[in-house]
Amino acid sequence: MIHVKNLLKRYGDLVALDHLSLDIKEGEIFGLLGPNGSGKSTAINCILSLLSFDKGEIEIFGKKMTPDAYESKRNIGIVMQNVAVFDELTVYENIDYFCGLYVHDKSERKRLVEEAIDFVELGNFKKFHPKKLSGGLLRRLNIACGIAHRPKLIILDEPTVAVDPQSRNKILEGIARLNKQGATIVYTSHYMEEVEQLCSRIAILDKGRVIASGTQEELKAMITLGEKITIEAFSINEQELQQLRELPGVLSVQWIEKRLVIKSGKKAGSLEAVLDFLKTHEIGFGRIYSELPTLNDVFLEITGKQLRD
Amino acid sequence: MPVFKVCLKIFRKNWLSVSIYIVIFLAIALLISATSVSERPTTFSQKKARVAFIAEEQTPLVKGFRKELSRSTTIVALPDQSEKLQDALYFRQVTYILRIPKGFTESVLSGGKMQLEKTVVPNSIENTYVDLNVDQYWNLARLYAAHDPGISQNGLASRLRANLSGTTPVVMKTENAAKTSDSFSMFYFNFLAYTLSAVLIMGISTAMMVFRRRDLRMRHYCSPLKQANVTMQLLAANLLFAGASWAVLVGFCFLLDPQSIVTMNMLYFLINSLLFTGCIASLSYLISTVLKSLNAVSAVCNLITLGTCFISGVFVPQEFLNSTVLKIASFTPTYWYVQANTRIAKLTHFSWDHLAPSLYSMLIMLAFTGAFIAIALVIGRRQQATN
Repeated sequence: MIHVKNLLKRYGDLVALDHLSLDIKEGEIFGLLGPNGSGKSTAINCILSLLSFDKGEIEIFGKKMTPDAYESKRNIGIVMQNVAVFDELTVYENIDYFCGLYVHDKSERKRLVEEAIDFVELGNFKKFHPKKLSGGLLRRLNIACGIAHRPKLIILDEPTVAVDPQSRNKILEGIARLNKQGATIVYTSHYMEEVEQLCSRIAILDKGRVIASGTQEELKAMITLGEKITIEAFSINEQELQQLRELPGVLSVQWIEKRLVIKSGKKAGSLEAVLDFLKTHEIGFGRIYSELPTLNDVFLEITGKQLRD
Repeated sequence: MPVFKVCLKIFRKNWLSVSIYIVIFLAIALLISATSVSERPTTFSQKKARVAFIAEEQTPLVKGFRKELSRSTTIVALPDQSEKLQDALYFRQVTYILRIPKGFTESVLSGGKMQLEKTVVPNSIENTYVDLNVDQYWNLARLYAAHDPGISQNGLASRLRANLSGTTPVVMKTENAAKTSDSFSMFYFNFLAYTLSAVLIMGISTAMMVFRRRDLRMRHYCSPLKQANVTMQLLAANLLFAGASWAVLVGFCFLLDPQSIVTMNMLYFLINSLLFTGCIASLSYLISTVLKSLNAVSAVCNLITLGTCFISGVFVPQEFLNSTVLKIASFTPTYWYVQANTRIAKLTHFSWDHLAPSLYSMLIMLAFTGAFIAIALVIGRRQQATN
C-alpha cells in the first residue's frame, strides 16, 4: 500500500531521513518506532507530500505521491500529532467539516459523522466546543476528524501524546477496531508499549534510518537477549558477582539496590543455574521476576541507547 | 463549499466583538444626525434689515423713498430720541438708523453735498442692501432732476417708483453642493472609515488567522480539496463579509438621511467607500499573515484604525491638521478616502475635470489595495516554504 524507497531529506547539513525505505502492506498495522528526533514525523510528512524531499520515491496505492495526487488523498486519513480542530466549532461541526472535505453527499456525510462520533464515544459531547473538552476527549475528537470519511489508509502520528492511561487505552482499542474494519494503519510513536500492543509489523528508526524492521518476534530474534531475571537478594560480594557472570548463558549481571539483574541468552537453563549458584553459596534471596525482551531491549542492543534517551 | 461555510460561521462567532464597533458608530451617527442642520436653503430670498427711519422733512421724494425702502427692509417705528435709538441698536431691534436731515431733498436736486446720516450695527450683511437702496434711489433722483430740470417732486417720485419696481429673478445654481457639502452624509461617510476598518480587520483577520493555523492547514493539504479551491472559498467568504458590512453600514446612512440618496454625490460616496472596503479587506488579509496570535488582533485593530483615522481627518477635518501629520497620513489609504469624500461632498458638477481629483484619490486607494495583496502573497509564500 505504501512503498518508500531511498528517501533522503536534509535540513541544511542535518540529514533527517537517511535513505529510508519502507514497505507497508494492505491490512496491517505498521508501527514506526523511534526516539524523539529519529525522523518519524518527517517521514510521515514526506509520505503525505507535506514536505518536499531531496531524493527517493514514494508510492501510495500504487501511484506516485505528489501534492496534487488528490485521488490518493481521498483515501487517506490523517491524525496529526497536534490536535487540529476549530475552536470555534462544536464537536459535531468539526467532524462534519473535515468529513465534508472528502464526502460531498449530505446524507452520507451525516451517517459517517454519527458513526465517527460513536466510534470515539463522544456522543455526549456533540455540542461541546473543543475548549470544554479534556485532553483525552480532545485527542479522540482529533482522531474522529481524521477517520470520519472512512479512509483505506490511516496515518496516526503520535496520537496519544499527553493523554491519560484510560483515554490512551480507548484510543488504542479504537485503532485496532479500525484495522479490523479493513483500514491499513501507520502508527508512529516513541512509546514501545503501544507499538508492541498494537502493531503487526514494526520499523525502528534512529537518526533517520531504519535500523530494524519486522514483526515483534522477528525483531526480538535479532538480539542475543533471551530473558531478563530480577532477584531480590540480601547481600552478595564482588567475587560472587563475577562468578555469576561466568555462568553459562549469562550475558550480564548487575547489582542494583539489593536486586540482581541478570540478562541471559536465548538458551534455556540460565535461571536454574543462577538459583543453584545462590543456594550453593548460601546467598539468601526473596522474590524472583522474569521478563522477556522488549522493543526497548532491541533498540538498546542495536544502538546502545534507550528509546527514550 | 465547506470552507466557505465554516468561514462564515467564524464570522458569526466574532459577531459580538464586531458589533461593538457598529453600535458605537451608530450612536455617534445618530448624535450627528440630531445635531446637524437638516434644513438647507434651496431658494433665494433677500434678507431684510430692520431699519429705524427718521425723517426731519416730509417731501414727496422722502415719502417715496420710505415706501421704496419698505419693500426691501422692515421699517421699525421708533421715537426720535437719541437714547431710545441707541438702545434699539444695542438690543438689535434695528440694525440701521437712517436719518434724513432737513433740506436734504433740495440739496440732492440742486446738486448739493448734504449727506444722509446713518448709524449701523457693524459687520451686518443686510445693511449693505440698505446702502445700495439709498444710493440707488437718490442717485437716480439726482439723475432725473439733472435731465429734466422742471420736473415736480411728485412726478419725480412716480418716475422713480416705476423705474425701481422691477425685480431680479435669482436661480440657485449650487443646490446639490448645499445638500452634501459639510452635510450629515459627508460626516457619516468620513466616520465610516473608522467603523469599516475596525469591523473588517476584526472579522477578516481573525477568520483568516484561524485558517492559517499550521495544523489546520496541514489537514487541508492532506485533503483532496485543491489549494486553489480552498483559497477561492476563503476569498468568497471574505468578500461576502466585507460586502455585507459595507451594505449594512451604508444602509444606515440612507435610514438616517434619506434625502441624500437622490444626489449624484451619493453615487460617488458609495463608489469611494466600496473601494475603501476592498482596500481594508486586503489590509486585513495582510495583517492575518503577519500576526502570530489571535489575541493580538484586537490590539492591532485598535492601533491601526484609531491611529490612521486620527491623522487622516476622520475625526478632525483635514484642514485643521498639521501639514506634517497630513504628509504622514498620506501613506495610509484612510487619508485618500477622506480626501476623496471631502472633494465629492463639494462637487456640484460631475464632468471629468471636476471628478478628476476625487478619482485620483480613489486610484491611490486602488494602488494600496494592490500593494497589500502583493505583500500578503509574498509573505504567505515564504511562510509556506518555511513550514
